[in-house]
Amino acid sequence: MMVAIGEISLSLALVVSLYATLVSYWGGHTGNSVMVRSGQNSFFAMFILFSIASVVLLRAFLTHDFSLQYVYNYSSRDLPLFYTISAFWAGQKGSLLLWGWMLSLFGSVAIFQNREHNRRLIPYVVAILSATLVLFSVLMVVASPVFAKNAVLPPDGYGLNPMLQNPGMVFHPPTLYIGFVAFIIPYAFAMAALATGQLGDIWIRSTRRWTIFAWFFLGMGNLLGANWAYVELGWGGYWAWDPVENASFMPWLVGTAYLHSVMITEKKDMLKFWGVILVTATFALTIFGTFITRSGLISSVHAFGESTVGYYFLAFLFVILAFSTYMIYTRRELLQSKNQLDSMISRESSFLFNNLILVGAAFAIFWGTLFPMISEAVRGVKITVGPPFYNKVMFPIGLALLVLTGICPLIPWRKASLANLKRNFLMPLMTAVVGGGALLVFGVREPLPWVFFTAAIFVAATIFLEFARGVRARSAGGKENMLKALFNLIWRNKRRYGGYIIHTGMLVMFVGFAGGAYNSQGDFAVKAGGSFEIKDYRLTYIGYTNTNPRPTKEEVVATLLVEKGGKKIGYLQPEKNFYSNQEMSNSEVAIHSTMKEDIYVIFAALNEDEVASFKVHINPLVKWIWLGGWLLGIGTIIAMWPDAREKKRFMARYADA
Amino acid sequence: MKNNQSKFFAGAAVVVVAITYLVYTGIEETSVYYLTVTEAVPMKSSTEDMRIEGLVLAGSIQKDKDSLGASFMLTDDSENIPVTYRGALPDLFDDDIDVVVQGKFDQSSGKFEAHTLLTSCPSKYEATEEEGMKASFIPRPLVE
Repeated sequence: MMVAIGEISLSLALVVSLYATLVSYWGGHTGNSVMVRSGQNSFFAMFILFSIASVVLLRAFLTHDFSLQYVYNYSSRDLPLFYTISAFWAGQKGSLLLWGWMLSLFGSVAIFQNREHNRRLIPYVVAILSATLVLFSVLMVVASPVFAKNAVLPPDGYGLNPMLQNPGMVFHPPTLYIGFVAFIIPYAFAMAALATGQLGDIWIRSTRRWTIFAWFFLGMGNLLGANWAYVELGWGGYWAWDPVENASFMPWLVGTAYLHSVMITEKKDMLKFWGVILVTATFALTIFGTFITRSGLISSVHAFGESTVGYYFLAFLFVILAFSTYMIYTRRELLQSKNQLDSMISRESSFLFNNLILVGAAFAIFWGTLFPMISEAVRGVKITVGPPFYNKVMFPIGLALLVLTGICPLIPWRKASLANLKRNFLMPLMTAVVGGGALLVFGVREPLPWVFFTAAIFVAATIFLEFARGVRARSAGGKENMLKALFNLIWRNKRRYGGYIIHTGMLVMFVGFAGGAYNSQGDFAVKAGGSFEIKDYRLTYIGYTNTNPRPTKEEVVATLLVEKGGKKIGYLQPEKNFYSNQEMSNSEVAIHSTMKEDIYVIFAALNEDEVASFKVHINPLVKWIWLGGWLLGIGTIIAMWPDAREKKRFMARYADA
Repeated sequence: MKNNQSKFFAGAAVVVVAITYLVYTGIEETSVYYLTVTEAVPMKSSTEDMRIEGLVLAGSIQKDKDSLGASFMLTDDSENIPVTYRGALPDLFDDDIDVVVQGKFDQSSGKFEAHTLLTSCPSKYEATEEEGMKASFIPRPLVE
């Protein structure tokens, strides 16, 4: 009964989404406000329909309704509640439902926010969002029905893949989906602006928060995935340049370029053409990523069920590209910039270089990801590139981006004078010289890491300078103490200083990435009581214990004493777990993490004569990556926080328009 | 004004050329063959690094004494290649599992010496998704 309600909801959603697409478009085209209103309401109705379907599926999981194939495939009776809920998006069908639901939710919120201010844009926005929901509804009703039933009622489910039983894996997919889904909002507004010819900056301002929101979640989704891989997969790293990872990294890079390019558009009425192309590319890349992931076309360590779903996304991708190209081409005259570059040494041009490099980075990754396919098609042999390719290509690109992070915010608009450059960059450059010298003294002598860390010091100094100047200016009159001045500085200029905090987070993450240059590892096999050394650590294997926390799970826990320079640091307890219902084992790594480095121990095996083997990694500076992620989050919240003054300025612009 | 535009385009061209150059040389220097077992057999005399994907032949795994390595046969059902791997074995490494090995053929022994061993997520886990569990469903006993 409940399942039937879910199925009916999805079928209705298909009908309603088709209706909403047509009625909104026609209503916008003819200026018929009744039709426009009807389109909006249909969209809200879709949110309700997707919500009903989601609740039905969630209920099926909670009540262990194994008559549903999907519930059978991804859960079992002894699965803890937390993971029973997360099993909702463990597979493709549930992921599609979650995706569709999020799209209907974000779309409804964006439509509700803009229904009064952007009367002319909104019908087209609704039409584009509804058309996308048509795709999802078709997938869920026809291609990949989430409510498909088993012919026989199984007594218990197949269980959730043990590797997905980790908090990182619970949060990583939805976070990434939020990012993927939310990028459609700026895209839809861009297309609506093209359709109506209202190509001022109103569509950009209206979607600024949505863009940052999407960008943040896409980045965080990647970061949570990296964190999950690090703590759960047990190969000692966090990023493998696998096609699936690349698929979600590319839209983030182009989205970052878009985020920066629209700042120039807002301030200088330039780069409109470029901005529309970037937002289209970002959205197209999210769909392309979904296609790669779901089609099984490119071999990846992330196995998703190979299915026809990918090809629906490929078809959709072509539709988007054709539609967007047509829209941009027919409106090309309106996209002409009113202003031009005044100087090579200016903020505008530094932003443009940042844009070019970000897009270039995405291009390099795109090429590396597709290269096996292209070489097979052209030369008949499959040739692949791995992490060495990306590390080689991304190092100079990353370095250039890092330096621009320091330069862009400080370089003046239009044209920088020599005095100006001296005022802004002398102190950071001197700091970098001193810091670079100090690095040499403290033993950072390999050329590439040295250049990188020195550049990081330069960027840190530029950011510090910006904060210091602002605080000094505010506290000069003596009314505000330093701390209050800092707080007010950030709070009164949320966009700007939120942005700087985001830059700081990126900088801290970059330092963490660069730490990878100093990774070391070793494999060791010992009997109880035996010990081994890696770098300046000494690890002693004390023994193991064996328990059964659940009937289908057996845990073997090894205990190792860790000492550094003769001093006891503590114990590490890597585990090896065996899951009887899936005939699988998996390792739970043990990590001792400090700002300087992580000791990362994997319990590789325990053989018949009680010899335990361990794989140990020493990974410097990894903690900086997660710390940078937190800063990114804080900066994003500040940059997105509602701002009364910004709103007032915005309202004035509506009045003008 | 015009002059600045062209200066910028020159700068942009430098960036584009630099990135193209990086990608091109990166691929030249780091790309490796990605072969199936059948495709790899004729390459036995090659000393190049290559990747081979295949299935671990059931019953062929011989683990090293300390469990930090194994030798096994890689198969695609028509050809087999003997593989040796030294290093901690991935959790999922087992009979009939899809793996990708990267390394070189040892010219004296004819064995493939892998320095990397990757396992895909178990295909048995995902295979059920598309087919569903229809009549082929085999009931398992209740554990509780």
